[in-house]
Amino acid sequence: MPNQRAAPVFLNLFRIHFPVGAVTSIAHRISGVLMFLSFPLLIYLLDLSLQGPAGFDRALDYLHTGWLRAASVIIAWSLFHHLFSGIRNLLIDIDCGVSLQQARRSAWLANIAGLAMTLAWLWWIL
Amino acid sequence: MSRPTHGLRDWLLQRFTAVYLGCFLVYLMVSFYHQPPRDYQQWHDWITHPAMAIASAAFILALLVHGWVGMRDVVLDYVKTLHLRLLMLSLIALVFIGCGLWALQILLTGAG
Repeated sequence: MPNQRAAPVFLNLFRIHFPVGAVTSIAHRISGVLMFLSFPLLIYLLDLSLQGPAGFDRALDYLHTGWLRAASVIIAWSLFHHLFSGIRNLLIDIDCGVSLQQARRSAWLANIAGLAMTLAWLWWIL
Repeated sequence: MSRPTHGLRDWLLQRFTAVYLGCFLVYLMVSFYHQPPRDYQQWHDWITHPAMAIASAAFILALLVHGWVGMRDVVLDYVKTLHLRLLMLSLIALVFIGCGLWALQILLTGAG
């Protein structure tokens, strides 16, 4: 094929430089999928917590185990990142902050705010 | 075989549900931060208060719609093999239906 365009040959993820908006966007998807995966666990805990005082205490005991604390950090990041980048998406939908410079700034803001709230959650549960 | 696509409808649904989910979650976080339920009775009374039960049911409904549109888009974007696509969409739909019925049952029996 003589007309084939010369494309960059490396597809090494560590060498491809993603623009910050791409990171925000893919993280929005990843966090959404992570929350989907956590549904059964969360509904189970809700169910348990409403099965009388004994169930409530058992749900609390579960929440204090190492595994669920670790899971809660991942869920907290997913929730906060999804919330912040989602608000960013909604604002961009109504033509708010569409210029490249503003969009980059809000992407950084969403990424950092998501991480900051995750740290706050970590501090809260430790 | 073709069927009408509902791109704009889904796009709008995703935005409207997002606004409700966001508002409800912020309310949930703020009220938990200020007044975490201390025992079963407080927790039960709070969640089965009629206003809260209705808001929660709406939240679960919105979450099912929002989650389904989102997961479906992710699968359609990344899974190109037809069989695998159908398999994954079916599994995801099953999880959503199962979780939705489970959550509904919790709300109904909790309120009763």
